[in-house]
Amino acid sequence: MQLVELQDAWQNLQRKRVAIFAISYDSVEVLAEFAEKRRISYPLLSDEGSHTIRAFGLLNEEHLVQQHAFYGIQTREEQLGVAYPGTLVLNAQGVISDKYFEQSYRVRPTARIFEEYALGKSTAASPPKDAPRATGRGLEVRVWTDARTYRPYQQVRLHVHLVVAPDMHVFASSGAEEFTPLSLQMEPLDGLEVGQPALPAPRRLGFKGLEEQFLVYEGSIRGMIPLRFTKNLGPSALTLHVKYQACTSTLCFPPTTLRVAVSLDGLDLIRD
Amino acid sequence: MSVSPQLPVLDFSEIGPRVGSRLADVRLPDQAGRLVDLHTERGHRRALVVFYRSARW
Repeated sequence: MQLVELQDAWQNLQRKRVAIFAISYDSVEVLAEFAEKRRISYPLLSDEGSHTIRAFGLLNEEHLVQQHAFYGIQTREEQLGVAYPGTLVLNAQGVISDKYFEQSYRVRPTARIFEEYALGKSTAASPPKDAPRATGRGLEVRVWTDARTYRPYQQVRLHVHLVVAPDMHVFASSGAEEFTPLSLQMEPLDGLEVGQPALPAPRRLGFKGLEEQFLVYEGSIRGMIPLRFTKNLGPSALTLHVKYQACTSTLCFPPTTLRVAVSLDGLDLIRD
Repeated sequence: MSVSPQLPVLDFSEIGPRVGSRLADVRLPDQAGRLVDLHTERGHRRALVVFYRSARW
């Protein structure tokens, strides 16, 4: 699956002059068959015997067996010799500038994530024009994902863009007890695993006449919720509930929950 | 009270080639059987070097 995702990223990376190499312990014959079937344009290097993998200290021995046991899978003889899955980013001088090795082989990077490894995060990336949106008093929220499709076990990122109305603020979690803090909750879906939402640090805000300072969000805020499907559910809606309480400098509106959903289509797992 | 087994956490900063070091030379055949020298093939470009389990399983 990573090889197919890399192929999706290949054209953009080629344009940006980033080379791609993929290494495994497969024989040339196995790689030739895969490359033809999946139309791979970049080198798939054959480290049969795992000598390079071993020399790099990337031989996945005990951990593979433990991982399989954890998931209730028997390790086959032929699987010994594999590398830890991950990516090294090399600069123009061939020096390793970044390293991304997953803890679990069951969470896999997508084409967009490979592009970010090579090119950096486009933090300026604004929501696509057709990103689903919901508006309430004092707050607008838009959500989108990197792609319109997903495969099981891939990193799906739900990007959340919140815009608080001018001269207003919403309370951050771990803010004052008497106010409802901002919370991002995914509607549960059987086969969907939801990770911890990532939000920027809130700001401290003081009010005239009050000793207490509050943690708040103002203006434009970008968040992200990491998700993972464990099976192909076909067309699915990812529904986000945004609970918040918006205030001006003098008064607070009642807590509100906005609901916004993005649709994705499921694709089957590709084994690679 | 039973404790569910935990996967041991690996510290990948200590495993594999180190960030900040030049990747050692790699000379391996590609899918066409052609011997590829990674740094030569890379030229002066940046690169992603992706390790994966297998193209077969």
